[in-house]
Amino acid sequence: MAALQRVTQSSMTTCVSNYGTCKGGGGAAIEKAVPDQFPAGLRVLVVDDDIMTLKIIEQMSLKCHYRVTTCSEAIVALNLLREKKGCFDVVLSDVYMPDMDGYKLLEHVGLEMDLPVIMMSADGRTSAVMKGIRHGACDYLIKPVREEELRNIWQHVVRKMWNENKEHENSGSVEDNDRNKQGNDDTEYASSVIDAAEVVKVPKKRISSKEDDDGELENEDPSTSKKPRVVWSVELHQQFVSAVNQLGLDKAVPKRILELMNVPGLTRENVASHLQKFRLYLKRISGVAQQQNGIPNTASGSTESRLGGLGRLDIQALAATGQVPPQTLAVLHAELLGRPAMDQTALLQSSIQGPKHSPAEHAVAYCQPQPLVKCPSNIAKNFPQSILTVDDAPSGYGAWPPSDTIGSMGSNGNHGRVSVQNNNMLMDVLQHQQRQQFQQTPQHKLQQQSLMHDQSRSINVQPSCLVAPSQTSGTFQVNGPASVNQNSSLTRNALTDYSLFASQSSHPSLNIAQFPGEDTKAKGVLCGYVAPGSISHSVSANNSNTQQLHKSSLAFGAVRAWPTLSPTVSDIQVPYGVSKSGDPIDQVHVRNLGFVGQGSSIPSRFAAHEIESPVSDLSQGKIPLDSNGNSVKQEPSMDFMDNSKVGAPILQRYPSDPMNVFTE
Amino acid sequence: MLGLGADRLWADMNRLLAFLFHQGVLDEQFLQLQQLQDESSPNFVSEVVNIYFHESEKLLRNLRSLLMDRELLDYKKMGIHVNQLMGSSSSIGANRVRNVCVAFRAATDQNNRAGCLRALEMLEHEYCYLKNKLHELFQIEQERALAAGVRYPLQN
Repeated sequence: MAALQRVTQSSMTTCVSNYGTCKGGGGAAIEKAVPDQFPAGLRVLVVDDDIMTLKIIEQMSLKCHYRVTTCSEAIVALNLLREKKGCFDVVLSDVYMPDMDGYKLLEHVGLEMDLPVIMMSADGRTSAVMKGIRHGACDYLIKPVREEELRNIWQHVVRKMWNENKEHENSGSVEDNDRNKQGNDDTEYASSVIDAAEVVKVPKKRISSKEDDDGELENEDPSTSKKPRVVWSVELHQQFVSAVNQLGLDKAVPKRILELMNVPGLTRENVASHLQKFRLYLKRISGVAQQQNGIPNTASGSTESRLGGLGRLDIQALAATGQVPPQTLAVLHAELLGRPAMDQTALLQSSIQGPKHSPAEHAVAYCQPQPLVKCPSNIAKNFPQSILTVDDAPSGYGAWPPSDTIGSMGSNGNHGRVSVQNNNMLMDVLQHQQRQQFQQTPQHKLQQQSLMHDQSRSINVQPSCLVAPSQTSGTFQVNGPASVNQNSSLTRNALTDYSLFASQSSHPSLNIAQFPGEDTKAKGVLCGYVAPGSISHSVSANNSNTQQLHKSSLAFGAVRAWPTLSPTVSDIQVPYGVSKSGDPIDQVHVRNLGFVGQGSSIPSRFAAHEIESPVSDLSQGKIPLDSNGNSVKQEPSMDFMDNSKVGAPILQRYPSDPMNVFTE
Repeated sequence: MLGLGADRLWADMNRLLAFLFHQGVLDEQFLQLQQLQDESSPNFVSEVVNIYFHESEKLLRNLRSLLMDRELLDYKKMGIHVNQLMGSSSSIGANRVRNVCVAFRAATDQNNRAGCLRALEMLEHEYCYLKNKLHELFQIEQERALAAGVRYPLQN
């Protein structure tokens, strides 16, 4: 939130100017000076069969400087969303539509692209609103929709990412960092308590989430996996829940649940992954209380124990169930249904690991092997564009590859599940340590910077390709473990610090080092922060990668980074724009080209769930959707490829300050 | 003189608006609509309102035909229609139409045919009233714009 706030406040103005310059550099300078606040440029898809409402909301959205796409048919909208994955940040949908029920659309969107969906209807009866929420709507606007409400919908984009981070914490270290950042960002919305709670939670959830991710990857990401997708409809979920209740949560094993459910086509793996998710939700519900009760002092120790607990059946979860009223549970379930996409994306990492992965006892992990071969080809395709247009592009990618994710993943795959846990643990520890560092020296920013550099350097030494988690941890461990409470409270400070770093980003080493050194979780945070300092390409790449891995968390980082980054960003944008032709889809985008820099970049961050979006944004939506989709899928593999190649170039770029780039 | 005419028309318009507000025919949502009108879309309000009339006339026709169906009444479908009408009415700030819609929807929920018929009649009445008044309003507005437009060249 801190970053966002900044953006909205003073920094935003600077961003705007930067963007303007960027565009000018691009060649076609369209200067429609739009005041650049964060929500400006938010990509909104409005679906309503009532043309008049569409018109009104479109006009309102334009007033809010959103980039609106309107659609009067739900099916068309759904196709649009599928085609242009990552090109929208939020969906506003009517409830009653002749061709497709708004709830149906909501379900599809929730499952397939995991975008925040806001329902709107004149029907404000509790039952209708409840139905919307149960189907996963993040908000329910009662018509007439007012401009004030519309002005505020960006919060759902932010919140969604934040929540995703929570869920994905397990899978990616990035998420933790992001979360922290988010927590800071969220200061506005969420109380500090929540932040703290989440921070604490992260370690617990990791393992389970990873497993979930693996399981879900298959289901949700059609590109990665070819297995039939299991859509956990409300009905199916109800069956699932009743089966679990029948068995008792602690005795519910996928196989038995499957038997009880007796649904043809459903596999044990499907059930297992869903069970994992379900447990996570239960946990989340009880999370706050748990945190309050006992928060692990040291990240590592507590994390391990918790992880272990998660891996089996969660006693905590059981307790939670008792505490939680059935209604809340229902809502949570609905959330589960709505969100699977997020998990899946997060699982991408896991999926990579998957091939080597031996199915764990939990059965959650059926790895959907992503064909490595595939990735290279994709990469090749993607790269040419970037390289051609922008010299910097390679460096950016290089920066990305160093990320430990790959390395860690590889190790995980080899060792099997246990190793994964360890990695996670390590990651957590690292993160905590980092936080601690930041926390300890919050006052002395300079010191922090130096620390950061050191870390990054040490990390850099390690080969970008594979970073052994143990090694990283060793370097990081220097810092003493901080108590959880400190962490939570500090988070904000840390975030601020990060943003500062970003602004100072002139240090190349930071960017590079951070990625490799920190595991997935670390990446998310680092990426976001680093990005500012690093070349725009690298940022985008990072975002996309992280996004793929951890959808939400990365996006945040990017967003935060942006304000400071803007100068660098401009560079990126220009190349992309040149290389890629405009998107057919977003006509609105075209209009906005003048301030594309702003709108596109920032929104894309939010769009971050999908890798594509950042790219598309940078390119100002000119990149063809298909390519985007490919890039997204490929990303995980890309790391490997890129790392080896790109590694060197990155450093060169960094030396130059963002300003230099600008002047150039 | 022309300038004065424009001013007078402006006053007329405001008076009419105030009257409609006072009667509860319109609510502040209509003002929101007016605020959305700017140089980029100078006729926004009238465009939207025209769409509204066009759409809601269709809805009213459908509602009537549904209600006239002696065999079996599709209350659910009616409810959806009413809901849509309610949504669009509230979106332009047609407060009274919206209120009747609420009653109408309640009647459909209860499968109350008499209530539905009554509500439909009220709806049609309110709708016509709104339409007349808004047309009046736009007419004045048009004249005013004309008058104001004529004044400019004279001054320049």
